[in-house]
Amino acid sequence: MRHGDDHLRALMLAGLAGDSAAHAALLRTLLPALRGFFRRRLGGRDDDVEDLVQETLIAVHQRRATYDPNRPFGSWLYAIARYKLIDRYRRSGRTTPLEDLPELADEFDFAEASDARADLDRLLDAIPAKQAAVLRATRIEGLSTAEAAERLGLGESDVKVSAHRGIKALADRVRGSWR
Amino acid sequence: MNSDDLIATLASDLRPVPRHALGQRVGLGLIAGAVVTAAAVVWWLGLRPDLMPAMHGATFWIKWAYTISLAICATAATARLARPDGATGVWLPLMALPVLGLALIAGWELAMTPPAQWLAMWLGQSWMVCSRNVFLLALPIFAGLLWSFRRFAPTRLGLAGMTGGVAAGAWGATLYCLHCPETSALFVLTWYSLGVIGAGLLGRLLGPRLLRW
Repeated sequence: MRHGDDHLRALMLAGLAGDSAAHAALLRTLLPALRGFFRRRLGGRDDDVEDLVQETLIAVHQRRATYDPNRPFGSWLYAIARYKLIDRYRRSGRTTPLEDLPELADEFDFAEASDARADLDRLLDAIPAKQAAVLRATRIEGLSTAEAAERLGLGESDVKVSAHRGIKALADRVRGSWR
Repeated sequence: MNSDDLIATLASDLRPVPRHALGQRVGLGLIAGAVVTAAAVVWWLGLRPDLMPAMHGATFWIKWAYTISLAICATAATARLARPDGATGVWLPLMALPVLGLALIAGWELAMTPPAQWLAMWLGQSWMVCSRNVFLLALPIFAGLLWSFRRFAPTRLGLAGMTGGVAAGAWGATLYCLHCPETSALFVLTWYSLGVIGAGLLGRLLGPRLLRW
């Protein structure tokens, strides 16, 4: 399922206009993303994760007037989640390297992540099928050369060569599309 | 409570949010505070007796141009910091303009005045109370801003507190002009600004404590 920023923004705007079904749909859609975000940061303390998820949902609800409709929904949500996370660290007396946190934006931006996946699919479609299959197996799923060779019914050296050629073909295509 | 129940509860009493709700709330907080400050100017300090004729002169308007432009910049910056992903943008650097403008006028004033009178011009009649009064008059306005922030989501609490303090100080100084008969640009540049800076520092100190959510 793909939830682009436009979709979330549309739900948010409907909620701001008073549509409670859209508002509930928005909050439900955010649940898994927020859980993933806090779980990665808190490392297994699931009670804390759910606490923070709920605090963030409450903030999204109570402070929804602070959303600027002209800006992406994701960055607003992320700023709230990040604040709640830092606040939790601060309260528990733990110092956190704040400068590490901005990079998390990438992890959190599910719209962007799914865009990236779509881009990757498009690129892989454009190179020979065998090379694409080898790259999917070795570089995306993370199989070893031997495992990939067995799954695809190829020789190991064929897998290595195809992966090498596939990467080169991808690089050519990316370079070509940048011009 | 489990999160699905929470969502159901939150969505059940949903009121529409007007498009400019944030700006209106900032305005409401400022006005509520300014009413208290204006009352203090009238009943505690008293309006300057020559207020009406003074309003026909240039110095009164120079003072107001200085304090009001500072107040607008600081208020705009504060309103932007009310959003979790807000940045002050051009508003903070823009505050250099009124300061520079008034400094130019003060320089011209010095050039026009014999050096023997510089000290008297700088200290005026009220240098000992001016900054303190501006600072005190800022407090109700700052309290009004704090109230409006209760529904906001600032993430840079120190900075939001500081710009809020400066905004309160500059609006407080604007109302103080209704009392203060001083005419020198150098006086305003020093003692008014000092009061505004004091309010900004107070906001910087209190922001991280009072703006948390």
